[in-house]
Amino acid sequence: MTTPAIEATNLTKSYGGRPVVRDLTFQVNPGEVYALVGPNGAGKTTVIRLVAGLAFPTSGQVRLLGKDPHQHPEVRRSLGAVVEAPAAFYPFLTGRANLQLHADLAGGVEPGRIDEVLGLMELTHAADRKVGVYSLGMRQRLGVAAALLTRPKVLILDEPASGMDPLSLHLVHSVLQQAAQDGTAVLLSTHHLDEVVAYCTRVAILEEGALIDEVNLFDRRERYRARVTQPAQAKALLETSPFVRHVAVRGEDVVFIPASPEAVGSVSVALAQAEIGVLEMSRDIFDLRAYYRDRVAGERARRTGTFPAPRPDGTLPGTRRPTRREGDR
Amino acid sequence: MSTLLRMELSKLFRLASVRFGLALIVVFPLLWAYAPGIFEVYGFFLVSGFQVPALSLLSSMQFLLPLLVAITAAELLGVELAHGTLPTILLRPVTRPQWLAAKLIVLVLYPFVVMAVFLAASLLFGVPYGFGSFVGGTGLGEAGLAGTGAMTPGAALGELVRGYAVAALALVPIGMLSVLFTVVFMNAAGGALATLSTLIFMQLLVVFPRVEPYLLTTQLNAYASPVADLAWVVALILVYAALFAAVSVVLFERKDF
Repeated sequence: MTTPAIEATNLTKSYGGRPVVRDLTFQVNPGEVYALVGPNGAGKTTVIRLVAGLAFPTSGQVRLLGKDPHQHPEVRRSLGAVVEAPAAFYPFLTGRANLQLHADLAGGVEPGRIDEVLGLMELTHAADRKVGVYSLGMRQRLGVAAALLTRPKVLILDEPASGMDPLSLHLVHSVLQQAAQDGTAVLLSTHHLDEVVAYCTRVAILEEGALIDEVNLFDRRERYRARVTQPAQAKALLETSPFVRHVAVRGEDVVFIPASPEAVGSVSVALAQAEIGVLEMSRDIFDLRAYYRDRVAGERARRTGTFPAPRPDGTLPGTRRPTRREGDR
Repeated sequence: MSTLLRMELSKLFRLASVRFGLALIVVFPLLWAYAPGIFEVYGFFLVSGFQVPALSLLSSMQFLLPLLVAITAAELLGVELAHGTLPTILLRPVTRPQWLAAKLIVLVLYPFVVMAVFLAASLLFGVPYGFGSFVGGTGLGEAGLAGTGAMTPGAALGELVRGYAVAALALVPIGMLSVLFTVVFMNAAGGALATLSTLIFMQLLVVFPRVEPYLLTTQLNAYASPVADLAWVVALILVYAALFAAVSVVLFERKDF
């Protein structure tokens, strides 16, 4: 079994007796992108700092590549991190000199690596300018460049896209996605739900320092939705089909997970052969933003005993509203 | 560790307090070299360029130099907090004691740099008085400026170098104390203020004669100590410095960032 790249077990952190992270347990495997989302003050930054070894847990444990980062600081050779927004650098040094300093502290990098990461983050033109004159977005990109410098096995980033324009935002998310595809475990905190939903493996929703939900986006990205004339018959047919791993009915739709992406066409053919009309078929895009809003509102309602205005369908946000998965019959 | 030391040394000379402090101590001896009313106020004349450094030291060791060292020590740590670079560095495979030790080593060296510049500037402003043999004292040996008879240039310079070196050493624990308070408060202004308050409070403790010889502030006058007492004085200064540095490292080890 592979050792998780990041492992937090019953992690709790209190300041002045007030818990800001409560009994948090999660793990991130190599090649996964794990996002921490939650309202401001939910404890995301504290979790990031605990996992990166900058803060000490009140109780619980953190392991990076199987080792406690406080007792084994050498494990940080495999860590790349941005924990400040904007990323912090010496303003009197150039971007290149700052990266050289990081490379020296990390024990050195291969020749040309500094230029490579500067190019990757589109900072070559500004490499020899002092960081003091960098814009917010440039500093953030330099932060990601510094994090990638040592080809880390673990990337930890607190709001890596904070203050960025849409192009830079896309660049950072592309780079993180590529890092994960190369086998790096990525832990990030973010408010950019629309961007992370495209490539995150799992999303942890935090509220008041507690993990209230962990959403597996990997499974959800594989889902398809077909609006058909006879949903019940379609479900019965697809349950026995070798092209489908899972099927459920949601209203007028059947929602299914194909055995492979190529099997979607075969599903369509199978439905047509059974004379079930297919009015529309598309990916079942998961609305993380709505789901998140719902879960946080529900958690707040549960905690405070006050409930927000009901939804148009008469249900209360977060109070056992059927999520898409729960709504599937 | 060598990377950290190089980094800290380069940062030290970029600090505003260091640049201002060095500029100040270069100009400061001018006050004594050209003071027109020195006889009316203090009852003596300068007879040699070797006497300017002693006057510079006597008038700055109780407040100005401790102030410069305390503020620089606090700023060396505080600038990392202000730029947010401390967590960034600690994310690299550098232990916290290594990182703080690099700063402490630089702060051990800094008072010696300050005193070397101060001595050089004082001697420079002493040029008009000449550096030949003279009758009197440097101010840092027996019988002060009056001296005990004729003094050769070599003997005078030796006394000055010894006095300035002891003075530099006496400033080292002040830098360590300032680091300690900055670690406690995680704030440069708080660290410097707490250090100066502690020094002022210690100066008031001279009213306890049994305690007075052991006070850190008493050691600020060690530059004029007889050679025979130097071993004891140096040992006491080193104990203070080591104690403050060790407590700083222990507290820093458990800080959350």
